[in-house]
Amino acid sequence: MRDAGVRITVIALILCVLGIISIYSNTHQKDDRYWQLTYQRQIFWVILGLVIFSIASHFNYRNLWDFSYFLYAFALLLLFLVFVLGVVRLGAQRWLKIAWFNFQPSELVKLIFVIFYARYFSAKSVHDVSLRVGKFGAFRAILLPLLFLSVPLYLIIEQPDLGSAVMIMMIFVVMLFLGHVKLRYLLVFIGLILVFLPLGWHFLRDYQKDRLIVFLNPNIDPLGAGYTIIQSKIAIGSGGFFGKGWLSGTQSQLYFLPESHTDFIFATFIEEWGLLGGGVLLGLYYLLIRQGILIAAKTYDHFGRLLALGVSAMLSLQVFINVAMNLGLAPVVGIPLPLMSYGGSSLFSTLLSLGVLVNINKTRAVF
Amino acid sequence: MPRIRFFNFVVLIVFVVLFLGLANLSIIHGYKYSELSRKNCIRLIPQPGRRGRILDRHGDVIVDNMISYNLMVLPSEFGNPDQVLSRLSRITGKDSVALRRSYRQNFISLSIPVVVLENIEIKKAIALEEMKPELGGFTVEPQPLRHYPEGELGAHVLGYLGEIDRWRLTKLADYGYNTKDIVGFGGVEEQYDYYLRQEDGGLSVEVDRKGKFVRMIGFRPAQSGRDIQLALDLKIQRIAESKLGDRRGAVIVMDPSSGEVMAIVSKPSFNPAVFVEKNAAAVQGLFNDPKAPLFNRAISGAYPAGSLFKLIVASGALETKKINLSTTFTCDGGLTIGRRRFACWNTHGTQNIIGAIARSCNVFFFRTGIILGPQLIHDYAVKFGLSKPTGIDLSAETGGFIPDPRWDKVYKRKTWYDGDTANFSIGQGEVLVTPVQMACVMAVFANKGMLVWPHVIKDIQGRDISTGFRKASLVPIQKSTIETVRKGLRNVVADPEGTSYLLASLPVEVAGKTGTAQVTGKLPHGWFIGFFPFEKPTYVLCVFLEHGGSGYAASVVAKEIIADMCSGGVL
Repeated sequence: MRDAGVRITVIALILCVLGIISIYSNTHQKDDRYWQLTYQRQIFWVILGLVIFSIASHFNYRNLWDFSYFLYAFALLLLFLVFVLGVVRLGAQRWLKIAWFNFQPSELVKLIFVIFYARYFSAKSVHDVSLRVGKFGAFRAILLPLLFLSVPLYLIIEQPDLGSAVMIMMIFVVMLFLGHVKLRYLLVFIGLILVFLPLGWHFLRDYQKDRLIVFLNPNIDPLGAGYTIIQSKIAIGSGGFFGKGWLSGTQSQLYFLPESHTDFIFATFIEEWGLLGGGVLLGLYYLLIRQGILIAAKTYDHFGRLLALGVSAMLSLQVFINVAMNLGLAPVVGIPLPLMSYGGSSLFSTLLSLGVLVNINKTRAVF
Repeated sequence: MPRIRFFNFVVLIVFVVLFLGLANLSIIHGYKYSELSRKNCIRLIPQPGRRGRILDRHGDVIVDNMISYNLMVLPSEFGNPDQVLSRLSRITGKDSVALRRSYRQNFISLSIPVVVLENIEIKKAIALEEMKPELGGFTVEPQPLRHYPEGELGAHVLGYLGEIDRWRLTKLADYGYNTKDIVGFGGVEEQYDYYLRQEDGGLSVEVDRKGKFVRMIGFRPAQSGRDIQLALDLKIQRIAESKLGDRRGAVIVMDPSSGEVMAIVSKPSFNPAVFVEKNAAAVQGLFNDPKAPLFNRAISGAYPAGSLFKLIVASGALETKKINLSTTFTCDGGLTIGRRRFACWNTHGTQNIIGAIARSCNVFFFRTGIILGPQLIHDYAVKFGLSKPTGIDLSAETGGFIPDPRWDKVYKRKTWYDGDTANFSIGQGEVLVTPVQMACVMAVFANKGMLVWPHVIKDIQGRDISTGFRKASLVPIQKSTIETVRKGLRNVVADPEGTSYLLASLPVEVAGKTGTAQVTGKLPHGWFIGFFPFEKPTYVLCVFLEHGGSGYAASVVAKEIIADMCSGGVL
């Protein structure tokens, strides 16, 4: 367990297994056979995801430097396809149907953006350890990357997938910070966002406004958007210290909690494993993210360091938002819990990012 | 690396905060939540709102709501719904298979009551309510339901209610509409659905194991829809409907100065209550009826204008000074154009424009039309608002059609002959107009030059919305032209040889024009449009009879309507 790569693999595996256990507990009682087999499908995704993980960990991350603009174009293409299909099918659409698999591109797009910005803020030469960004003015440091961000961001907002959009925006800000953009630019930029945030309210759809209002007081709409938050809080709160035990959660198993195996799997888990299990779970996530930060600290290649930091930032943001949403501390925005929530897209892109992380740890030693 | 250390620190802090939040829920509030969970005891009780009422211009109710009762089953109170449902089917007398089907269809979640039977009779509702302590597992909830005290009256203006369809849902989802919402179809119910619609509220209450109320957890009040007051006058609407009787056609009564529509009738009609009762056979019957009772002939039906179109030709010719008051043509019963003879319906002799309008002489207008030319006829028809919708605030209005010789020449490579123009000048051929358009044309002569926007709305919940109304536009025609045509219109009624002389006996001075539109193979359509009183018009009337025989038949209906309006104290 000395090696960060091994630790990442082990922790990721534990989290995946915990996810499968919770999904099983959650769906095994439902009368529909399709539902009952949800956990088997998740096992299948995990196995496929591990294959992706091992491929990614053997793929030299330096190559990503050269591919980053192609990846960016690829991300645009995916989002544009979703957009066009969404228009054709007259409704909200976040996924692409590839054979039998409904793929949600915004999951992958997050990773692509991390790679893209790591590339943008670093020099190709591994020996050029001086900071490229330090010489950047406001245009090249913030405005130009923002320009690259605007089109994909617009496409994601149009889907409409506000959660992923906010997520990508936050990753961007964190990357600016970690990419050593001058602090005064960053502060001005964040200040501007805060100033213009109230204006954004008018661009939200009605159901999104509802969710934000209901987040402030779930009891004003007990039948609609507030329902999920109330039920999630009850599920978590009723778990107590030790939890109700595996397969004994009542809130989540009896249809009370919607999305109990995807976005609200944290609540399901806590109901059955209590504060104790919750502490262990949060600890595992912290350890996982810490590995990324440690790898970054040991990497002297700028691109690799930024990439490792970006992946850790992406993971931590996803965990924060999802857990906060489950606890009723953040509005319900449809962000899954990495590695645990049911669904292939999120699992694949998370394991892919971890694979990249492991590769950075392995390849770095060469220099 | 200070930034990395800072980042590491922030991540750690957030994880600690999350853990504390978790501990707060599970330890500090743990008891409260585990009680809530143990008793499984949050019950959601929907509280339906009331859809806005529709009132007439005097505030009399045209459409309101009545309380009906729904039978709801509470899925969380029993394991197997079949037992409860079969017992309920014995009380209500409904087939238990049907109840089970509707239970399965309407099931949403364990905690939300499922509607298994809608609109049950009050006696059964009371019987069920009495059985409740014994059986348990169900409730009877009151729900407001659309009620039509006037029956069929004004059905086409009002429209009907139904479950939202896919097409409307895709357009309205952004305005907060959901699947299974009840929305308006046609008429005011559709046009002003956004204002009329209610917002359903509900409360979540905590109950104990026996389903008894413990305390209230959350509440969202139901919002009633806004009441809409129409410009419609129930008295006039009743008169118009009864006088049109079983004939197919349409009647419109409108205020010529403001465009407020006081009555719109389209026959055959339907009873909107059928849609509330969800009587599937009756609804299917309405949709499949070859007489198209759901079709609003007053705004969606486009018909040949017949002699009414002569008013447009007369105005155009006077305005362009192609003819004047001393221009006369002689009618000897017909006119030969090329090799074909175009007949007049009578032999009128020598007359000027006023006499020609009064007697509706075809020959006069054949000649005038040919002098004016088809392009100008088209242009003047457009100036009077034809060939495009009037914009009346009811859905599914059609614009009709006016042939455009220039367009025909360019796109259809069709040459206009004088014979086409002759047909065009008396409103035959391709000319199609709607009754509401003709009412607006007549309003131009009544109010001396303004093309008004016809509308049925007056206000929404007592709030004046006239700033949102479309302004009337000035038709670019001189006063003298309008005066001349008005004289002709008055003579239609006042002149013993006029086509509507029978209206002369009415206590009010009427001016108007009849029209008989030929239809190949069937009885002609009958038109009458007019306004009264002549000097200071307060009403424009348009009567249209689909295959009604002639303009004379329409005048008869018009006379009865005006006579009743006089005796009924409306005038």
